[in-house]
Amino acid sequence: MIKKILLSFPQSATGKPMAVELVKTYNLDFNILKANIDDNVKGMLLIEVTGEEADINAGIVFLRQNQIGVKAIESIVEVNKTECVDCGACTAVCTVNALEMDENWELVHHKDKCLECMLCVKACPTRAIHALI
Amino acid sequence: MAKTYQEINEKIARGEAVIVTAEEVIDIVKERGIKDAAEYVDVVTTATFGPMCSSGAFINFGHSDPPIRMGEIHLNDVEAYGGLAAVDTYLGATQPSGDRGIEYGGAHVIHDLIAGKEVHLVAKSQGTDCYPRKSIDTWVTLDDLNEAYLFNPRNIYQNYNAAINTSSRRLYTYMGILQPNMRNITYSTSGELSPLLNDPLLKTIGMGTKIFIGGAQGYVSWMGTQFNTACTRDEKGYPTAPGATLALIGNMKEMNPKYIRGAVYEKYGTSMFVGVGIPIPILNEEMMTFVSVENKDLYTNIIDYSVQKKSKPSLKKVSYEELRSGSVDINGKIIKTSPMSSLKMAREIAAELNHWIKKGEFYLQEPIISFPMGNSLKGLTINEGGLR
Repeated sequence: MIKKILLSFPQSATGKPMAVELVKTYNLDFNILKANIDDNVKGMLLIEVTGEEADINAGIVFLRQNQIGVKAIESIVEVNKTECVDCGACTAVCTVNALEMDENWELVHHKDKCLECMLCVKACPTRAIHALI
Repeated sequence: MAKTYQEINEKIARGEAVIVTAEEVIDIVKERGIKDAAEYVDVVTTATFGPMCSSGAFINFGHSDPPIRMGEIHLNDVEAYGGLAAVDTYLGATQPSGDRGIEYGGAHVIHDLIAGKEVHLVAKSQGTDCYPRKSIDTWVTLDDLNEAYLFNPRNIYQNYNAAINTSSRRLYTYMGILQPNMRNITYSTSGELSPLLNDPLLKTIGMGTKIFIGGAQGYVSWMGTQFNTACTRDEKGYPTAPGATLALIGNMKEMNPKYIRGAVYEKYGTSMFVGVGIPIPILNEEMMTFVSVENKDLYTNIIDYSVQKKSKPSLKKVSYEELRSGSVDINGKIIKTSPMSSLKMAREIAAELNHWIKKGEFYLQEPIISFPMGNSLKGLTINEGGLR
């Protein structure tokens, strides 16, 4: 199975090579989609993990034991529907149509299509699109 | 058979008026024909909900004790104009804040006031014999203000350009983010639902026309700035370029924060989403013909925003039906199109206005004066060293 996981590293965990353990010990492949790690401060890593479900779950347990925050997500951005006015400005920059207008001109968010470019966050006039990273 | 404003208002009072939206009327005309539809339908509601930069609010704060002649006025750190009388101001929608820049501007203050939030008021003065106070620092809500009304010098453009970018650099504009090398097109209209596209020659919309603005009942107060009724038109009279505009007025105390929203255009500035609805009386067959217009008959030009000149070239003339289809073909390249104004909100406003009229809460106001046709725009000539 494939799972998109957002990892948050506290200061204590920024110096250790953690993600590599997922490959060595838990037999998982991963693809780094976004990374923002400052050594000795804190870090965020968005990875797409591929492997057996049991291995993924064991890997998550390992990470959590090492004080790393683990959150399974579908997309790095979330649309707050109460702030959104369905104008469509975000769809102008979404090259994969993860954000598109439906037949009633209401914004729909296909989270599975998102490529994490986050340009929609800047394109949204009501700032209704929030990045998790 | 022609109808008068008075006859339509009497039908509204009796609960007998037939009111439909400018989208619904299209099928009615197809079924019944213009003549029969003109007799059957009394009012067609139109609406739009888009970013309108030329907007703002007049506010009177009331006098403190001792009183102050306010200067350097700030509301939530957004500067408001201090060149009016002691406690009057004008807060422009696009004015950025000192602390948050364009992320929070005049439009956001206006929205927050309408939403009933407390707003931080700071002002200074040199002090005068009649206004001795030299500074003020307080919090106000909309209820505390004597008057607070939107006075928007230029709203609801009658048609507007679509935007494209032929350069190799991403552009950040008031038409949204334009990707390099013609990778997207943006447009801003409610098309066949748009107020001024349903009355292209301004036969029923003039000074004094009663409207829906921000959830309140307001008025058309004047022609808008950059009023261009001499714009290019098709053979039926519909503008194919930016045409008429309207100056609108409405009481903020009667508004709904849902219909007035702050907007931020990245690396451009703050703007304000304004929800406007205008009822069009079907006085005769001519008006019914105008309101039956469809997106396939309304055209605009796709303008290249990478050309940094006042006059930008058009790459293609397209209908709103093509723009709404999701893509446009330019010389064999299929380019994605995206809206900038909310059709969903516009539909909600047209339906709301329809509801008001049906309930007898909103009557039509005949314009006091009509606006001039053939009004063209001047540019600004740079005369270094004066004209003589």
